[in-house]
Amino acid sequence: MPNKVLYYRLIPVVITLIALAVWLQPAFFQRAAGINLPNGQLPQLSKPLAIAKPCLDEHPEWRAAQTVDGVAMAESLLCEPDNPYNVAAAVKGMNNISMRTLMSTHMAEDALTKSDDLDGDGDPDIIRIKLEVLELNGATPDSPNVFPTYDIAPGIQPGIWAFSPKLRGMSVKNFRSNKANAILRAPSPVIRIEQGDKVYITLENTHYFPHTLHFHGVDHSFQTASGGDNDGVPITGEKPVMPGATRTYELQPRHAGTMLYHCHVQTDKHLLMGLNGMFVVEENRPNNWVQTFNIGAGHVRYSSAAIKEKYDREYDLHYQSIDKNLAKTIQESNDIREISKQMHRVYNMSESNENYFMLNGHSFPYTLRDALIIAKPDENIKLRLANTQHSNIAIHIHGHKATITDYDGVAVNPVAQITRDVYDLSAAQRLDLNLQTTNDGLHSYGEGVWLFHDHVETGVANDGISPGGNIALMVYESMLNPNGMPMVREDALDDVLTNSFQNKEKPLWNKKEPGLLAPNYVHLILWGLLIGLIIGLLTFIIRGLNKAI
Amino acid sequence: MKYLLLLLSLLSSTATFSAMNHGGMIMDEKGMIMNHTPDKLPKDCKEISEDVDITIRGGHKFAKDFNGKMFTYDKREWQVPGCARVNVTFINEDDIRHQFMLHGLPGYMYPKGMFTIEVYGKGQKTGSFIVPSRDYTYYIHCEVSTHTEKGMKAQLKVGKGSGDLDSILGLTAPLTPDYYPVNNDRFTWLSLAFSILIGALLISWLSNMLARKIKKSSN
Repeated sequence: MPNKVLYYRLIPVVITLIALAVWLQPAFFQRAAGINLPNGQLPQLSKPLAIAKPCLDEHPEWRAAQTVDGVAMAESLLCEPDNPYNVAAAVKGMNNISMRTLMSTHMAEDALTKSDDLDGDGDPDIIRIKLEVLELNGATPDSPNVFPTYDIAPGIQPGIWAFSPKLRGMSVKNFRSNKANAILRAPSPVIRIEQGDKVYITLENTHYFPHTLHFHGVDHSFQTASGGDNDGVPITGEKPVMPGATRTYELQPRHAGTMLYHCHVQTDKHLLMGLNGMFVVEENRPNNWVQTFNIGAGHVRYSSAAIKEKYDREYDLHYQSIDKNLAKTIQESNDIREISKQMHRVYNMSESNENYFMLNGHSFPYTLRDALIIAKPDENIKLRLANTQHSNIAIHIHGHKATITDYDGVAVNPVAQITRDVYDLSAAQRLDLNLQTTNDGLHSYGEGVWLFHDHVETGVANDGISPGGNIALMVYESMLNPNGMPMVREDALDDVLTNSFQNKEKPLWNKKEPGLLAPNYVHLILWGLLIGLIIGLLTFIIRGLNKAI
Repeated sequence: MKYLLLLLSLLSSTATFSAMNHGGMIMDEKGMIMNHTPDKLPKDCKEISEDVDITIRGGHKFAKDFNGKMFTYDKREWQVPGCARVNVTFINEDDIRHQFMLHGLPGYMYPKGMFTIEVYGKGQKTGSFIVPSRDYTYYIHCEVSTHTEKGMKAQLKVGKGSGDLDSILGLTAPLTPDYYPVNNDRFTWLSLAFSILIGALLISWLSNMLARKIKKSSN
């Protein structure tokens, strides 16, 4: 069988060729550049480049100081000032305002009822508040997108929950829009009441999961007058408020200060989802109507009598964070059993990371729209800071040293008060600051556009893209444009307002990205020929051996 | 013993003094030249073979022709004969500090084997050094933090030199290269498939030839 021997002899040749092929294998997908590095290229964008407007300037008429239904509210020079009708309704209660004001809010007629001047000092003492639970950027079976959309920063739409005043009407801007109505937003509204008020807060659970209300630091009895649950903790009180059900909590706080409220069901998840808000008890004064809802927190357009005695302005600064993995659990399924599984069992809080950081429901650059501190020289500004992230924050206001007047709603003895420039807040802590704008080299270094931000640097980025997070500005009126935007360099905000920048796709400083190398065709073709030879030879051997048998 | 110690310490301090002065640093508010040596010959040179004047510019703008780099010199290779006196004019075109730092000169006349011109901002300085006779490639760079790594590296060949240094822009590849993705398209894969086919057909053609030959010879 001479033929068979020939074929056997060819086998080592094939093996050699295979070894050669392995050795000479070209770098198919990446290789070293050699002397010259590849040319730069423009980035590949997953979505068309879109640059958001810094300020939409939708309601310039809302900025002026004005009186609505007898409520004389302060000027608010922000790009997005609070709706004066909401402010009037929040001060007077829905039962004491005109139909025109009521129709200019999106609140239900029983969202806030104020009545009964029990102590005869000129203000109502029985306050009835109704809260709902809303979802922003959640899943919808009718579209691959989320609904209703709420951008915390350009193009960034994490799933968020919030308490809101009981609402009325549409949840979106109009029938053709997916954008959440302005009142549907983060954070949960700041609730403000007067010391000694009898407050009845009803949670109307409009959501698909059970929730409760827990009042953190606000004076309340363990049980209601009728023996019902009043602390909101399912393991010590009643079962949570089930979807479609309601429960009323009763408070009559004897102590004033900056406090919190939050859901106490699956607290780790539900709190981080956004079911938390600031709760401010104002000192008792005669004829003291307080702004019971500060929607979106921030500037308080109608401060209480006690605050007006000492301060020129007041701001509620609510710091929150979002874990994108938790946030997406409400975006990936429309089946509440699946959402519950993903959120409450698959998601693991002990492996949690915070990715987005918000001040008053927005991340930079959208904090510029409604979370500025606006000031004039020689003022005393009341800042109420609350941290409902699970990490610590260390807030720093450039160019200023403010005085800490209250810790967790308890006043510090004036002689022991500390003036400093970093204010650290652990989870759930509150600080009240007196920010003085006296240009004395200590309290203030003068007028300017001064950044204020968390100095824990994770907090100043949007999922790692900086500048972002809870960065905001303290702007003196002399450096504020008529539309509420600070006077900054014309191109200063171009990058941060671009969706591709936030998407991590746009190189910084308008540079290019490293490009690609051209394929090495000679190498590729020679190697291809070699592989062809191997295949041909193998076929030849196999066929030959088969024939020889 | 005391005297000996005193003598030793005196000697050593004199040595330090002379080292600082020797080849010295010429400094002003614009910059510094270290080991300026226009007239002292290396041991192996009997005379200066040639006076070579070279002007070297350094700055950010020269790196613009090189992808992914930040600073470099306008030229990154020079060649001079052995025993040449090299008169370097180093022009810094940036507002920051740059250096022309050359290594490998004989230590007995150039402390640390270096010749350096440093210019603190926009401006220029001129200094000289005399190279020994042997063929050697001298390493030139700017040692301001990151400048060497991001492009500011060059070489001076004396005579034939002793090979090339790594990672000189436009001249030699880096020793630890970056890897880049290859821009493959449909044509890339088609040409690969086609060449494999040709290879296989080649064997098939060869085997047919062989079969024909065997047939012929058996006939």
